[in-house]
Amino acid sequence: MTLELHVWGPAFGLPSIDAECLATVTYFAQTLSAADYLLVQSSPSAVPSHHLPALYNPSTVTWISGFDPIVTYLSTLQPPSYHHPDVTTLPSRVYANSQAYKALLTSSAAPLLALSLYVSSANYSETTRPAYSAILPFPLPWTEPLAVRAAMAARAAHLGMSSLDTDAEMERLEKEEREREAAGWVQIPKALRKAVGGQNSGVKGQLSPEMKRRIKLEGLAAEVFDVLGEVDLLEEEDGEEGEEEAKEGGARIKVTLETKCLAFAYLALMLLPEVPRPWLKEVLQKKYAGLCKFVLEYRRKTFPESGKVLPWADRESDPAVSACDSALSIVGRFVRAVVDDIPMLGREWSRWWALRQRRVAEENSTETQLVIRRSVGESERSLLLAGAGLTLLAINVVGLGIYWYRYRGLLGAPLQTWHRPLVGLGSFGAAGAMFAGLA
Amino acid sequence: MATTSAAAPPRKWWQVPRPLQKVFDTFPLLAYDVNALPGRAQSATSGDLPTLYVFSTEEEALLGAPSFNPSCLKWQAFLKLAGVKFQILPSTNHASPTGALPFILPARSSPTDVPSPIPSSKLHGYALKYGTSNPPEVSALRLDAYQALLDVPIRNVWLQALYRDPEYTDLLDRFYITPASSSYWVRGALRHQLRRAAETEILKTGPGGAASTAISLLVDEHSVYRAAVNALEALATLLSESKTGWFFGAETPSMFDASVFAYTHLMLKYMSDAEGEVEGEKGYILASRKLGTLVRSAGSGELEQHHRRLFELLWLADSNAELLDAKA
Repeated sequence: MTLELHVWGPAFGLPSIDAECLATVTYFAQTLSAADYLLVQSSPSAVPSHHLPALYNPSTVTWISGFDPIVTYLSTLQPPSYHHPDVTTLPSRVYANSQAYKALLTSSAAPLLALSLYVSSANYSETTRPAYSAILPFPLPWTEPLAVRAAMAARAAHLGMSSLDTDAEMERLEKEEREREAAGWVQIPKALRKAVGGQNSGVKGQLSPEMKRRIKLEGLAAEVFDVLGEVDLLEEEDGEEGEEEAKEGGARIKVTLETKCLAFAYLALMLLPEVPRPWLKEVLQKKYAGLCKFVLEYRRKTFPESGKVLPWADRESDPAVSACDSALSIVGRFVRAVVDDIPMLGREWSRWWALRQRRVAEENSTETQLVIRRSVGESERSLLLAGAGLTLLAINVVGLGIYWYRYRGLLGAPLQTWHRPLVGLGSFGAAGAMFAGLA
Repeated sequence: MATTSAAAPPRKWWQVPRPLQKVFDTFPLLAYDVNALPGRAQSATSGDLPTLYVFSTEEEALLGAPSFNPSCLKWQAFLKLAGVKFQILPSTNHASPTGALPFILPARSSPTDVPSPIPSSKLHGYALKYGTSNPPEVSALRLDAYQALLDVPIRNVWLQALYRDPEYTDLLDRFYITPASSSYWVRGALRHQLRRAAETEILKTGPGGAASTAISLLVDEHSVYRAAVNALEALATLLSESKTGWFFGAETPSMFDASVFAYTHLMLKYMSDAEGEVEGEKGYILASRKLGTLVRSAGSGELEQHHRRLFELLWLADSNAELLDAKA
């Protein structure tokens, strides 16, 4: 039995560009032997759940996606292929803490990472986007990174840092400008505006948005790192030192392996990429040396440069992989992404498509452990769509009716023209006809 | 002709046209006095007591019963913990200056006084300033991590159950839909909007509400419930470590207790199985998807016990206790 793990491809010297995928790969590398699974470089549009990481078990035809569900699923597998981390010896408080820290990473570290790699325009265009282009087959870099960026921006929206996205900021300014013009306000010529004290003058104008917001950004980062700093992430490495530390600093919070993997994934993606605006990296390096040390050592331990190699699937030889990488399927994925961008209808369509694909995947699966219950939302949505369709149809019918009524002369043509008959000889009765023949 | 044009102001379009001028001359401008507020306004806006506006029903608000909205209930419980005396009134998001309930309107010092409302972001300070007893400030860094448990998995499962589970459509209608409109079509549209908003919120944290970095299209309900089971288990474990029975070993309940209570109370009250139903093993619990059952079976019942203690402390000590008890 070979499990297939579908993940985003490698970037920044790490096995995956996405934090959750990276965490899963890290977890697999520590609990499974390389012969038992296969890493498949993929993107969300290629898997039925539309979410990476996704685990495919060919023996039961089951798809599992998401870090937590995959880890839970692995623990149901039998030990020959899966080395359980020593679960029985850990006290229950370790579990409780692990759950809490996993939730914290999701709710706070993910938005922070999103700010650094995706929202900040400079970092996105210099680092993230090229990295995505390198791992996606040809037309997909036009669509998928944009979708990821939009999703990330939505995740970080509550932090109120959208000004890091200078593209969006410029658009906003231009829009305001147009509105002012439309409203007829007095225009200051551009050249004058700069001199008077527009955006580009003075020290403030020279600063990048990251520098302007530096204090707030550092505050946001500190909120997360302070809490993470409490965790005893490196316990296994420490050995004798660890015991001494425990005596000195009191109890540091212990967590399970999966939480460490997740913490490593987020911190590594914050620390390792070479970005033009490295505020997050600087905060980490300056104030949280412990966390940096953890990232580097964990990386050295889990992905040694000379040593075991991750079992990436070979594109040509593996039938499962080449099937989902064929030109036809890539074009299909691209077209779906384009359709998704159609306002209003596109999103509904892709939801419907995703739902259908998931249904098919669930029906194919031979495992019955999944409890499937249909949500009312789905039926209601199809009702809504049907309603919208009916309304459109009704409008068409009424429009057509009006058209017929107005222009097709159901009650006569709308414009009646009367031509005065030509007065010719023919209108003078029989005598006229006689003369007409002569003329 | 020449004289009139010289006397007229230079910009002609300021002039009122003659016919209009005549009309205005016949009706001299008269400003009436400001109408007095309707009689009930005094009690309905703010009386001697500060008023907390929450999602509630008329009858329950009179009794001061717990609100059915988690964030409202959290602040209601916290204000009670802090010993602030207040009344509650049912309201909707549209009434709030920030667009979200709850908010508090301080008491009037004089009949013409116009107190400005205090949004929920400043309620903590308000409670400490006007309360009689200060709830303890817990300063464990772990607090942030456990707060994340409430913010992500537990909130997600509440959204999933109340808004997206067909079993609770009646409950959703009773809480938010029926009071808002009596029209069938408006109700349908409202329900759809609420469901869609809940779904977007869940998807922000991934299909299963678990750790994730990209927004996906569909909610993975099974993972949402499983994440919640784990989260409740973690909270129960945390509670079992405490000697005082309140979170983080505090002497008296703190803000975090109020936040947990807000969810456990609603889950136990509205989403429990019928009395006496056998509670099976974990598999059954996940299949049944009753949040009240999940709360009850977390750990060894610590959360239910915590809920009962806090409810007794905050509500049953009141004068309205019998009425509330009768209702419950």
